[in-house]
Amino acid sequence: MRNKKNRIRLQDRLWVLGLLPFAIMVLSFQLAPVWSMLTGSFRSDIDFSLTWHNYYTALHSPFYRKAIENSLLISSYSSLIGIAVGLACAYSVTRFSPAIRDRLLMLSNMTSNFAGVPLAFAYIILLGSNGMFTLLFKQWGWNAFAGFDLYSWTGLTLVYVYFQIPLSLLLLYPSFYGIREQWKEAASLLGANAWQFWRTVGMPILAPAIFGTLGILFANAMGAYATAYALVGGNYNLLAIRIGSLVSGDVANQPNLGSALAVLLACTTLLAVALNHGMTKRSARYLTGTARTAVPSRRERRRAARGALANAKEGMG
Amino acid sequence: MNSYLDLQGIRKNYGTTAVLDDVCLQAAEGELVTLLGPSGCGKSTLLRCIAGLADLNGGRILLQGRDLERLAPRQREVGMVFQSYALFPNLTAGENIEYGLRMRGDSKRSRQRRTEELLALVDLEEKRDVYPHHLSGGQQQRIALARSLAVQPKLLLLDEPLSALDAQIRKNLRAEIRNIQKRLNMTTLFVTHDQEEALTMSDRVCIMNKGRIVQAGTPEEIYAKPRTEFAARFMGSYNVLTRPEAMRLFGRLEGSSDSFALRPESVKLIRPDEEEGARAGGKRIVEGTVDSVSVLGTILRYTVDSGGVRLTIDVLNDGRSIGIGERGSVRLALDPSQLLQLEQEGA
Amino acid sequence: MTERNGAGWGHRALQSMLLVYLLLPLAATAVYAFAREWQNTLLPKSWTLDWFGSMFRDTRFLEALWNSLYLCAISVGLSLIVMIPAVFVLTVYAPRLESLMKGIVVLPYAVPGVVAAVGLIRTYSSGPIDISGTTYLLIGAYFVAILPYMYQGIRNSLLTVSAPELMQAAGLLGAGPIRAFLTVVLPNIAPGIVVSTLLSFSVLFGEFVLTNMLVGAHIQTIQVYLYQRVGESGHLASAIAIAYFVFILIVSMALMKLGQRRSGRGKG
Repeated sequence: MRNKKNRIRLQDRLWVLGLLPFAIMVLSFQLAPVWSMLTGSFRSDIDFSLTWHNYYTALHSPFYRKAIENSLLISSYSSLIGIAVGLACAYSVTRFSPAIRDRLLMLSNMTSNFAGVPLAFAYIILLGSNGMFTLLFKQWGWNAFAGFDLYSWTGLTLVYVYFQIPLSLLLLYPSFYGIREQWKEAASLLGANAWQFWRTVGMPILAPAIFGTLGILFANAMGAYATAYALVGGNYNLLAIRIGSLVSGDVANQPNLGSALAVLLACTTLLAVALNHGMTKRSARYLTGTARTAVPSRRERRRAARGALANAKEGMG
Repeated sequence: MNSYLDLQGIRKNYGTTAVLDDVCLQAAEGELVTLLGPSGCGKSTLLRCIAGLADLNGGRILLQGRDLERLAPRQREVGMVFQSYALFPNLTAGENIEYGLRMRGDSKRSRQRRTEELLALVDLEEKRDVYPHHLSGGQQQRIALARSLAVQPKLLLLDEPLSALDAQIRKNLRAEIRNIQKRLNMTTLFVTHDQEEALTMSDRVCIMNKGRIVQAGTPEEIYAKPRTEFAARFMGSYNVLTRPEAMRLFGRLEGSSDSFALRPESVKLIRPDEEEGARAGGKRIVEGTVDSVSVLGTILRYTVDSGGVRLTIDVLNDGRSIGIGERGSVRLALDPSQLLQLEQEGA
Repeated sequence: MTERNGAGWGHRALQSMLLVYLLLPLAATAVYAFAREWQNTLLPKSWTLDWFGSMFRDTRFLEALWNSLYLCAISVGLSLIVMIPAVFVLTVYAPRLESLMKGIVVLPYAVPGVVAAVGLIRTYSSGPIDISGTTYLLIGAYFVAILPYMYQGIRNSLLTVSAPELMQAAGLLGAGPIRAFLTVVLPNIAPGIVVSTLLSFSVLFGEFVLTNMLVGAHIQTIQVYLYQRVGESGHLASAIAIAYFVFILIVSMALMKLGQRRSGRGKG
């Protein structure tokens, strides 16, 4: 008894020691910066007095409002397109044998590392003013594409979609294994055609996974910086780009306004990730207990999650 | 005769292996026919073929004289209950039952009325708004049954509907299904690998093996007169004897069969003073040694070695035979009239 | 409805289109990297390996490569030293605090890099600790950036080998906690940790926004150098991008092989 007590006391001291370096690192490089950013966002860039002014500017000045609006729009469009394409591809990929499916997923996982600066550059080669396809379309006389400009919003959306699709595919495909073949069979015996089955049973079961993935894609696009920055430097009026130039730009250094914008950006991405979290819990309700036969193995899920994480880091890269 | 359900020469191959090999089966209206067999004998595949969930490689399926071949599953008017229930998890119990009616385009009022009726039929009125994952296995199974009955199918297919349930619930549900089936006069094909289930529930039992129906008949016939070795072994603890073994026990044999079956309860353990009476009754007396005894509730099951032949013998557990232990010597009274001749497999 | 053996032509077509779509940017970069000259024609007229050659003769490239490698190695190493004891202690002795830990490590995943950079610049560009533009700041930022991967990897490894039970067993056999950790737990979780190490490494290797905003003016990593080269010589930039991708490819292959071996062993 006494022995056990001693051991516990020793362990008490030990675990504090084990956590100490972690606490120091997190405090100095995560919590302190967050705190500094939060307090800074309420300080004026001119006289350092406490103020709401930064948030007022962020939400009312036409310039920054436009940046927020642009970011929200491009994130929404690229995530919605990503979800639509990803959904079709995810369903399709589950129709293949595991060996082929794994190879397809591995490929899309690997190309998803091709984001940020190299991706922007590759798209310049493909669709820039002297790009391969630009020339090809000119040669074939496809006028529909004559007005296309990679450096426009459409062009940027196209590049964003590129990194959204593999992410969407990797996050969505496991939930298709939750749709059991017997549900389809039961529905068909009860008089439902394929479309009716997906409308009444399939899609409602997938819905949480779809909304959750939408959250991740949205956060991913909101935080994306490297791709846009590499494509045209600071010329796009996007929230992430604006924040970057306000804080480390050479022209107008307004760190406190930058902080306010950063807080706003963080709020949207946190909200989107929270949505994903809630939805994951929700879809677990359908998929545990009822679907034992067809859920993917732990390895597959782990791999998907890993791919997802690696992808979601576009914002960082 | 025109049967209600008529399966003619059904064939089904997966690749080069035949899963169903010339299966013929008729069922009258309101009859409950059980397909009994070990796993992999093709019984579930047969159900799936009838439901249209699997294609045929040959043969015809007639339901009320109508050929089902060209029809999609949803046009066949066949209801099916799956082993794993296959309830839709995003719909409540009531909505699950209502599903087929909704697909058919019934009015909301009639749908509601019918749903209430069926919930009452399976005695789950209070579970209408409960989601499947909050129901017990037995309740889920009853909802699945109600769902398939809601659209009034012409034929009900039950694919091992009870195998995922506890023994006690299984027994209750067995009786309940039979009850409902009789009340609705619903023609039903029931697939199981449990011989007790098959014997207690069915009007008729078809024993299947390797894609064929090896014997069909009433439960009494099937139990009392297994025709082949497979049927004898599958129907329970029949002693299956080769011709030399039977010869050793009985001395002389009728017929020319190569194998014989002997029901475990037809052999009697007797005391020396009963010997005369038994001999007079035409029994044959042999000596044996008890290898093991196990208590199966109301039955004592002995394994006895008699001259190198191992026999399983069931004795009523009424306290009379408790004296006989392992390694003990016993006298067995064999009744030659209870020795069944078995046909060659596949003959 | 009939059983399906393999996927139909629709699915094949869709997956082929997806493959082409995903590989096209890569292929274009590769073509550019091997093209001697490529102006106003559909495909290059002649091919060369010169760009790869000049890449390796380019001292700035080699310097950037070296910067990337040692910064990533130090950050991942630091993370291992700090995170393994922390996650271990938490899993074994203080499971109550796990939700707090989860909240902390999920932040870098949910908060974009540009936001993290803002906080770091504000904190360290003035005031008592002025380390702006230094490797210290960048390593701290990298440490936070890979928190989610490290935490997840270490925690999963600890749970798969059931570390609390291992510790108890070692304790009953007379080993002290530190000794038990070093001799029993650490060797068992090592293979799992290799996976998160490689993953973190590849994440940091592709990191751009933190590096560019925090130290871009002073220290060049592969990504920052690539960004500057894109404007100057497209061919050279392509060669660098392809080299970078091949490196990532090797890391992902290694990750996958390790993952397969681990799950194979788990089953067997």
